[in-house]
Amino acid sequence: MRKYILKRLGSGALVVLFSVLFNFVIIRLAPGDPTRLLAGKDNPSPETIAALRERFGLDKPLLEQFWIYFKQLLHGDFGYSYVSSLTVWELIRSRIVPTLLIAFTGAFLGLLIGTALGIIAARKKGSKFDMFMCSISYFFDSTPSFWLGLMMILLFASILKWFPTYGMYNVRQNYTGMAHVLDVAYHMVLPVTTLVLIDIPYYFRIARSSILQTMSEDFIMTLRATGMSEQKIFFKYVMRNAIIPTVTVFGITLAYMITGVAMIEIVFAWPGMGRLMLDSITKRDYPTLSAIYLLLSISVAVMTIVVDVVYAWIDPRIRIE
Amino acid sequence: MKKKRKIDPAKILNVIKNNTQLKIGLIFLVILLFIAFFGPLFAPYNPYRLNDDTLMAPCAKYPLGTDNLGHDILSQILYGCSTSLKIGFIAAMISAIIGVTLGGIAGFYGGWIDQVLNEIMNVFLMLPDFFLILLIIATFGSSMMNVMIVIGLTSWVGNARLMRAQAKAIRERTFIQSSFAMGESKFSILVRHVLPNGIFPIIANTTMNISGAILTEAGLSFLGLGDPNVISWGQIITAGKSYLPKCWWICTFPGLMTIFTVLTFFLLGEGLNRVLSPKMDANK
Amino acid sequence: MSLLEIKNVSINYHTNDKTVYAVQDVSMNVDEQDSVGIVGESGSGKSTLAMGILRLLPENIIETSGEALLEGEDILAMDTKHLQEVRWMKMSVVFQKSMNALSPVHRIGYQMEDIYRVHYPNEDKKVIQDKIYSLLKMVNLPERVYMSYPHELSGGMMQRVAIALSLIFEPKLLIMDEATTALDVVTQTQILNEIIDLEKNMNIARIMITHDMSVVASTCKKVVVMYAGRIMEQGLVNDVLVNPQHPYTKGLMSSFPSFTGERKNLKGIEGNLPDMSIYPTGCVFAPRCPFATERCHKEIPQLKKYGDNWEVACFQSGGTSNE
Repeated sequence: MRKYILKRLGSGALVVLFSVLFNFVIIRLAPGDPTRLLAGKDNPSPETIAALRERFGLDKPLLEQFWIYFKQLLHGDFGYSYVSSLTVWELIRSRIVPTLLIAFTGAFLGLLIGTALGIIAARKKGSKFDMFMCSISYFFDSTPSFWLGLMMILLFASILKWFPTYGMYNVRQNYTGMAHVLDVAYHMVLPVTTLVLIDIPYYFRIARSSILQTMSEDFIMTLRATGMSEQKIFFKYVMRNAIIPTVTVFGITLAYMITGVAMIEIVFAWPGMGRLMLDSITKRDYPTLSAIYLLLSISVAVMTIVVDVVYAWIDPRIRIE
Repeated sequence: MKKKRKIDPAKILNVIKNNTQLKIGLIFLVILLFIAFFGPLFAPYNPYRLNDDTLMAPCAKYPLGTDNLGHDILSQILYGCSTSLKIGFIAAMISAIIGVTLGGIAGFYGGWIDQVLNEIMNVFLMLPDFFLILLIIATFGSSMMNVMIVIGLTSWVGNARLMRAQAKAIRERTFIQSSFAMGESKFSILVRHVLPNGIFPIIANTTMNISGAILTEAGLSFLGLGDPNVISWGQIITAGKSYLPKCWWICTFPGLMTIFTVLTFFLLGEGLNRVLSPKMDANK
Repeated sequence: MSLLEIKNVSINYHTNDKTVYAVQDVSMNVDEQDSVGIVGESGSGKSTLAMGILRLLPENIIETSGEALLEGEDILAMDTKHLQEVRWMKMSVVFQKSMNALSPVHRIGYQMEDIYRVHYPNEDKKVIQDKIYSLLKMVNLPERVYMSYPHELSGGMMQRVAIALSLIFEPKLLIMDEATTALDVVTQTQILNEIIDLEKNMNIARIMITHDMSVVASTCKKVVVMYAGRIMEQGLVNDVLVNPQHPYTKGLMSSFPSFTGERKNLKGIEGNLPDMSIYPTGCVFAPRCPFATERCHKEIPQLKKYGDNWEVACFQSGGTSNE
């Protein structure tokens, strides 16, 4: 088990190292002068250029440049955003909480609803409900999340006027306490629903197919032959076996959720990382973009390791290797 | 020693008939290809032309309305079809070629080559690919060529893993072992026997990758990273975003077309998977 | 009264566009402490028959007729609740793929305990554990198996676990469906010997489904030879396997090496199993039978008494009619 975790940690470290390397290489391979890219404007002032050369050691050999860059990252120094004059770290910190708020809510709801639907469909395999869910899951799989968000706004905010169009809270009212929480929750409904609709097909399909797979295993036959009730077989044995892929996929989804949420945040003008990403792209704020990318890589690496460990914990077959 | 696969048209037709996904997927594909090749002939306007009527709701003159600059939406959609398909096909092909090559080599040669390649695959699998694509496009510029290449370069891992497993399994089969015994070179066995016999799951996966590439391109366009020189559905949606909710038609129709296209390749991929994949499918 | 009395059982599968007549008109008896081997090629319906008697076939696609009386009660007509009470208490089963006989993510002891509680929900944990440990000991397994997961054991060990599990309530009838086929010969012999000892002590009757004639010859009193869903010949092992009457049994016997060590040429049987979705007009074996006459193709031969406890379904064999 210890060896297994160590090996996973090694792979995780490798992923982060690769991401750092990509970041480093991309900027130096990019067409034009890297100072221009790093400064985020076409005609940076001589002072800016000097500062950049100093900071990134641009006159030095490549290998040394990489070492300088790597050392800065190790100190948690992601540099300054050349657009907002805040440190990149401060920028990200102010945006991460709203993102995690809708990302977690959406991921958990998607997991619960999708899995529940998958279980029902598997139990009634071939029924009208099953067929309907299978076809609709293809549809939502094929839908770009941002477009679905736009349609949600069109229908529920503009036509039906049930929910606000954008933002995280009502800027005209200074709600505090419980009223503020409710206001945020009210603003969350549409973005979270969009996210959930996009997530459901994954969990639905995984739950459905792994339950059907488990039901066809030989040990189910043994349990049946012992006179165990179908209810008990299903809820105790089928579920325990079938839950393994769902847990894995959930972990992976959590890892990637920031990118998944980004598009939806942009649509609903949610003040999170997605918005920051879009702003950084439009203003070519390279340090911020590269910091988000690194952060994302680290979170993916960490989550993958966590998933692998959880996986080994819930599936005894993994542990032997 | 080579195993010949006989192709019997009647049999193929029968397979298609019994496979709902494949059937619907093929019908949709024919429609899409028709739009891509002949759509421009039916376009009522030049899609680049700025008509005098801006933000017109769908009417007899403009069946799907116009955008803020007076572009006819229907014409734009018809022209945009080939963009989506081109990006999907080429990106998926690039990813298939890289995946088959690396996966085939890893699985067939085994040993340290396999270990190194496998570790690289693991790393690539864990990289947040959409953001990597975004980062590269943001730095290198958003030409269609860049978009296709970058999507291809970041989506090959699935293919490689499939091919690796295939190559490993095929390597052990008797006809390969006898080719070894007859002194055929490793490289020749890989190219002549292993790759052709193991390619089938890759075909299904590549079809799915077309869907993925089209969705990625739409996402990039939405972030303003689409190629400004071509018409793409993603860009029409992005342009129309600011005119919601009043001018709903600008976003709605290209979005529906995107879904239709992505759905087509999902269905085809699923259908092919059931036909070509050696594994029994629990869903069936 | 026989322990298990199978009367005219037929089992048909319905698939999309056809019906497969998997088991046709099978009748046989299993007495207390009996040991019956059911032999036949794969596809002969022997496993379907066993699964049918256990009521383990997917009920939405099969159609069963006839009776299977276990101590006078028809299993095929039981309601679910009563069936669940009878299962494992009166009859248990050991399957071929014992590696997958138990859930891979639960400890073996835990599962056995859980199965024990199906029929004795309020039994004391200590009592159950003692029982399980004694069972493991009985099949020569170490105590650590209790805390192991299935994948941690070898095929032979898992087979022993499956056997221990099947004996947990000391049932009257044990069905072994190709239970030792996947094992190596040494392990197979060991396990078979253990079973024979165990069933003597526990008064268990055994039905052994296999395609291996030597297993039947060495472990069973009676044998039932099936082909294409029908019984060709049944009787005592000492009669049927020594002096087979049905051409199919003869063919089967000559496909196996002789038990006496005599060197003879091994012969197979020409041809393949018939298409089971076509209801036969004559003897199912006629197309492959070297002695078939015109009558064999037109009329289905019924089982006829050939001697004491000996029945043959063939027009060629001289015997007295059952009717």
